[in-house]
Amino acid sequence: MSRDPYSERVRALFASPLHAGSMSTPYRVLVDDQGIRIELSATLDGDVIQRLRFRAWGCPHVVAAAEWICTQLEGESAARLQDFAITELMQSLAVPVEKSGRILVVEDAVRALGAAIKVSSTIAGQAEQD
Amino acid sequence: MTNAAADLVYLDYAATTPVDPRVLETMLRLQGVQGDFGNPSAMHRAGWRSHAHVELAAERLGALLGTSADRLVWTSGATESNNLAIIGAARHRRHRGRHLVTMLTEHKAVTDVFRALQREGFEVSWLRPGPNGVLDLGTLQAAMRADTQLVSIMHVNNETGVWQDIAKIGECCHARGALLHVDAAQSVGKLPLALAELSVDLMSMTAHKLYGPKGIGALYVAKRPDLHLEPLLFGGGQQQRLRPGTLPVPLIAGFGHAAAIAADCMLSDLAQLRTLRDRLWAGISDLPGIRLNGDLAMSYPGLLNVSVADVEGESLLLALEPLCVATGSACNAQNQEPSYVLRALGLSDAAAQGAIRFSIGRPTTRDEIDFAIRQYRHAVQVLRTMSPDVAA
Repeated sequence: MSRDPYSERVRALFASPLHAGSMSTPYRVLVDDQGIRIELSATLDGDVIQRLRFRAWGCPHVVAAAEWICTQLEGESAARLQDFAITELMQSLAVPVEKSGRILVVEDAVRALGAAIKVSSTIAGQAEQD
Repeated sequence: MTNAAADLVYLDYAATTPVDPRVLETMLRLQGVQGDFGNPSAMHRAGWRSHAHVELAAERLGALLGTSADRLVWTSGATESNNLAIIGAARHRRHRGRHLVTMLTEHKAVTDVFRALQREGFEVSWLRPGPNGVLDLGTLQAAMRADTQLVSIMHVNNETGVWQDIAKIGECCHARGALLHVDAAQSVGKLPLALAELSVDLMSMTAHKLYGPKGIGALYVAKRPDLHLEPLLFGGGQQQRLRPGTLPVPLIAGFGHAAAIAADCMLSDLAQLRTLRDRLWAGISDLPGIRLNGDLAMSYPGLLNVSVADVEGESLLLALEPLCVATGSACNAQNQEPSYVLRALGLSDAAAQGAIRFSIGRPTTRDEIDFAIRQYRHAVQVLRTMSPDVAA
């Protein structure tokens, strides 16, 4: 299987996308670029990401990347989202460099979610001050 | 014949077929010191014995095609046959005109040849078939010109299975003084052909689509006073210098044997394939958003091409494992371009991306079809649940 384009990790994540789904929450973004569509939705407990879910239209690497991100970021501070980078993800999943453009769309979605959470928090903070 | 790889369910017979065990036995008998390994061009007993195998193979293939053995040129496969036919004919007739005609939905082994000829100064008209994949004869007639020298139309499309009426197309070409080349890689040994009764001048074929070995094909060249080909290869006098090189006797004998078996099995094969294809389509046709790409009434029954909305092709392909099927996208890491054939039939990029080609073969069982139905339904349901477009 030397030409198998998918690592064992990608195959496992694609076969069991435990975080696939969507939640009714204010923290939800949809990024549509390069023929890839990623939706991320999160619930927070204070500043901590309580639950993170994804929906994706893309190749198996994109689906696996989305599942990997949800697994990695649940329980982490929401502040991590805005400067999230795909370097570790690319290595962990052994994503071919030709597909890095698609994985960057996933990165965009994570950062967009971080920005959406920050905006909501800022507005909520201002409302409390008012 | 059963699938040796028990962990796979192979439904990609349009890509290639396994070698029939009887064919394999024929080929193995010709290998090694005990076999008839001589050079068939040699002027001694070993050469003559080898040559007899080549003659038998040509007779068998000629019988399958409804033509005489001396009209066949051995090549390495359909790609080489297409190159030799199209380039050879176009170059030989260039002094008479430089206009050529083909279809947008031809295999790359044809379209890329025409593009190469365009770079040599030939003018090509690219015909678009109807939404069902069938070429309208009026479209062809409208494209023909006084300087049209060659028309190339495939018999059975490799992605949709749709077949063209090559009898009428041939009549149209000859009425306008043009040659007709037919890429029949997907139809030789699968659909009845009687070349002696058709206005077909050149026909490409390959052994590995009909349970023969890879690496051997043939080009049929009709006997017509105005039909000549310029060779692409030089280096010997074999095959009237049209395609020089030592003939690969075991491969040729295997091709011939596969052709003989195909001639015997064709009608029963067709009945079996039709039953299985109809069962497959009946098992998935109720899925919401499913679309049949092609036309069941004008298709080779061993092939079914379907697409569903909201499902990405590469992910569908992986979710379908252990099914071995083909997707409608080029589908590799470098190129996510949807099938140009399906795009030419009017499918959107997304629909073409989600297209799957099931191709059924002689060894396919009903259990395998039932497994494919279950696997396809499950994969589509899972991926749709995951799609932002469906559940948002």
